[in-house]
Amino acid sequence: MRRITELAVILSLVLGVSVLLVLAASILLPGIEVRQLAFFYLYTTINPWFQNYTVNSPEAVTAIVWDYRGLDTLFETSVFYLALIAGLALARGLFSETPQGSFNEKTHGLTTIVKTVTRVTAPMIIAVGASIGLHGHLTPGGGFQGGATIAVIPLVFIVVYSTLFLIARGVTSNKMLVLRSIGLLGIGFTSIAAFLIGLAIGRFAYVFQNMPKPGAVVGLPADINGALISGTLWFFNLFEMIAVAAGFTIAFIILLLAGRGGSGGR
Amino acid sequence: MDAEFINTYLLLVTLTSLLANAIISIYGLFFKPHYTKKVIALTILSDTMNTFAIYLGYRTWVNGVNPRPPVLTSTPTEKSISEFTARAVDPLPQALVLTAVVIGLAVTLFLVFLGYILYTHYKTLDMREIKKLKG
Repeated sequence: MRRITELAVILSLVLGVSVLLVLAASILLPGIEVRQLAFFYLYTTINPWFQNYTVNSPEAVTAIVWDYRGLDTLFETSVFYLALIAGLALARGLFSETPQGSFNEKTHGLTTIVKTVTRVTAPMIIAVGASIGLHGHLTPGGGFQGGATIAVIPLVFIVVYSTLFLIARGVTSNKMLVLRSIGLLGIGFTSIAAFLIGLAIGRFAYVFQNMPKPGAVVGLPADINGALISGTLWFFNLFEMIAVAAGFTIAFIILLLAGRGGSGGR
Repeated sequence: MDAEFINTYLLLVTLTSLLANAIISIYGLFFKPHYTKKVIALTILSDTMNTFAIYLGYRTWVNGVNPRPPVLTSTPTEKSISEFTARAVDPLPQALVLTAVVIGLAVTLFLVFLGYILYTHYKTLDMREIKKLKG
């Protein structure tokens, strides 16, 4: 009986591993073709001969993120915002006492070398972040990535110069929350821009519409004076960049303030 | 050995290491007692899953020509578009992963704040201690 059980176990193991190998060879290895859906996205992302279906953006990922599946991204942004609000609510007792005193160049922060290097590199990082964000419809990148890059700046400044410096320069969590809300409002208005234009001129238009569609001829321009902006995509990236940069700054400010003036932790 | 065999082998090495990564991070998530280590394991797990999702949209090499990223870099003519659709990888998993990354980040942010609250409340982040304290 025992021998039969052992044999059955070994046999089933061999057969199971063989099935797994067959599956691995046929499913896990990528094929030559992509799915039909992906073929549609790739074929219409920028296609002057399909004016009713194209997004006029050479970057297929951004076209999907903000046009084909724009609602997904809208809710994703609101999830991020909700997490931030939840964080603020959880940390509200921890940073009620803002650090007192004013910023002193001599006593606060790291050495002069580090401060000078930070001053020189800060505009460069902002330029790189803005480039990533605002070229999101042309090259890999987009609003989220650009905003995350820009948000490095407040973090570096908090470490190098101290939080007092940021507060003295007016970068407080409340102001960042306002900036983040402006970004979110911008995203909201961009999503109904075509709809509002349609209301104004009395034509039918969809919410989250970008280019003219069959039956809804209202659309945003694909380029301004020859510079490609892909309709709503450029504005979405701009506002998302603002919102994400401000959101990360809030998180950093709260976390680093909470570590200092908190009631319990050391 | 021909190039196709080496490509297949490298792809399967990537897959196997992703699988190992997932198993190790699940182990860390369940059996590491410290809260911060659990959060780190969770982020590693979500990144592994995102890489899996991107892998689903990958295309195989054809005659030594690698697949291209889903970005059209030349002026859109009929020829360049058909060449682009023949060689670019699937952009949909990448877009979904972008969404998943942001949501994972939001969850991590929330967990970090929660960890801070836990620490101020219990003066420790060791889950074994927190389990004993009750309330």
